[in-house]
Amino acid sequence: MRAYLLSRLGQTALVIFLALTVVFFLVRLAGDPVLLFLPMDIQAKDVNEFRQRLGFNDPLIVQYGRFVAGAARGDFGESLRYKRDALGLVLERLPATLSLAGAALALTACVAVPAGVLSAVRRGSIWDHLGMTGAVLGQAIPGFWLGLMLIYVFSVRLGWLPTGGTGGLAHFVMPCVVLASFYSARMARLTRSSVLETLREEYVLTARAKGLAERFVIGKHTLKNSAIPIVTLAGLETAQLLGGAVITETIFAWPGVGRLTVQALLNRDFPVVLAAVFLISVTYTLINLGVDLLYGWLDPRTRREVAG
Amino acid sequence: MTEVVAVIRRHALGLLGSLLVACAVIAAVAAPILAPHDPLASDFAASLKPPGTPGHPFGTDQLGRDLCSRVLYGARIALFIGFCTVVLTALVGGLLGLVAGFFGGWPGAVLMRIADVQLSFPFVLLALTINAIVGLGLRNIIVSLSAAGWVVYARVVRGEVLSVKQRDYVQAATALGTGRSRVLFRHVLPNVAPSVIVVGSLQFSQFIVAEAAISFLGFGVQPPTPAWGSMLSESRDFLYVAWWLAAFPGAALALTALGINLVGDWLRDILDPKLRI
Repeated sequence: MRAYLLSRLGQTALVIFLALTVVFFLVRLAGDPVLLFLPMDIQAKDVNEFRQRLGFNDPLIVQYGRFVAGAARGDFGESLRYKRDALGLVLERLPATLSLAGAALALTACVAVPAGVLSAVRRGSIWDHLGMTGAVLGQAIPGFWLGLMLIYVFSVRLGWLPTGGTGGLAHFVMPCVVLASFYSARMARLTRSSVLETLREEYVLTARAKGLAERFVIGKHTLKNSAIPIVTLAGLETAQLLGGAVITETIFAWPGVGRLTVQALLNRDFPVVLAAVFLISVTYTLINLGVDLLYGWLDPRTRREVAG
Repeated sequence: MTEVVAVIRRHALGLLGSLLVACAVIAAVAAPILAPHDPLASDFAASLKPPGTPGHPFGTDQLGRDLCSRVLYGARIALFIGFCTVVLTALVGGLLGLVAGFFGGWPGAVLMRIADVQLSFPFVLLALTINAIVGLGLRNIIVSLSAAGWVVYARVVRGEVLSVKQRDYVQAATALGTGRSRVLFRHVLPNVAPSVIVVGSLQFSQFIVAEAAISFLGFGVQPPTPAWGSMLSESRDFLYVAWWLAAFPGAALALTALGINLVGDWLRDILDPKLRI
């Protein structure tokens, strides 16, 4: 188990290193950020001085070496725009992203899993049709459009909810619903198909044959055995929520990592982009590792593979 | 007669999806004929007119441009980008997956590590970053979406090839001394094709929505080109006075995505029921 963990962590580190390398060179190929940050009427001599100070005049390979040495210590340089430590800037935004992701995920789990199970157990009933219609719609409606429409109805027309920003619980409602609508749609469909598949297994038939109450058949024998694909998707969705709430954060002016990343990309503030890329790929890979470890608990048969 | 009814009932969702897709395709192809106005012609005397104004069924925007015409032309941009991206990713990703699965060895391993690196980013954020680097515009958004999206094909095709390779008919063909390229293109490729089609149809709507999202954030397709995403982006400033600017382009986008998703699910059920995306 320890050897497995170590090798997985080693692979994770390699993947993150490669990702950073690729983004570093892409960003440098993209052009000169210096001109964007200096006033229009500046002298060529001053431009050069600025470039010298930031180290943009050195050969690319030297810049790369300096970047790797810094990144290994968690130093991604100073934000060109805010004149502050880039990683610190990103980490400062993390709590806002985490709280929104947590709330959206909780809402997803509370809506999608029961809806999926109900649709599967009462297959062909009105609940099944309602649930799956909702899921298909939720998957097709783009989050940013749903966000705009919610703002129009609940903020502009009714004046019940704030249009954006953070503050009280009311600020959570719309971003949370927008995020959860897409993710619960996928989750509900997967839950339904996974439970349907498990219900066909022979041990479920056995459990029914020996006269177990339906709630035990479903609760004990079916749910845990249908959980692997659901947990996989939940892990994937958590990871996407942590890094990918870019659009929702932008619409609702939510001060999270996603919005910071978009602004940094627009401003060519590359130290911040690289620090955000680092944080997002670390979260993504660590969550995947966590999901793999959960498999062992859900299905002991996979433990040997994991350990070996 | 009852048979016809039964067939329609069983394929109801697929048919609904096909209908929606057909509408989007007609809007895209026939936009110049269907559109009542030039989508770029502004008329300041008629700015921000509500839907139902004579001559402007969906109303007009802040510059007095006809919204209905812009939404119709928007279908053109969305479907063009979606189609090009799907073809490009299918060719590149499919070919790489085919090679990685068929020949294996270190090229396959390297390819799968690259795929791992790419998959450690959310798709929209990756496409957005690439787009910020390669630059704005129609061609670059196709390049960015393809660069971010080919991985899915490479993975699915490689997995399929690995399993098809073990089947008896491929083994038999090899045993009979058939050349490697002939085995690859005559025996393996046709059996992988259904998965490629299914993945393509399911990716199509993802690409269209991602393009709109990226244009919405100010990258990708730029105004005044009538793309749904950039129209929605502009509509944010007028949400208090003109709801229709947000409602119609978004509804067009959602209905197109819905239609493509339904067709994709339908194709999967017919061609490849085991595939889970």
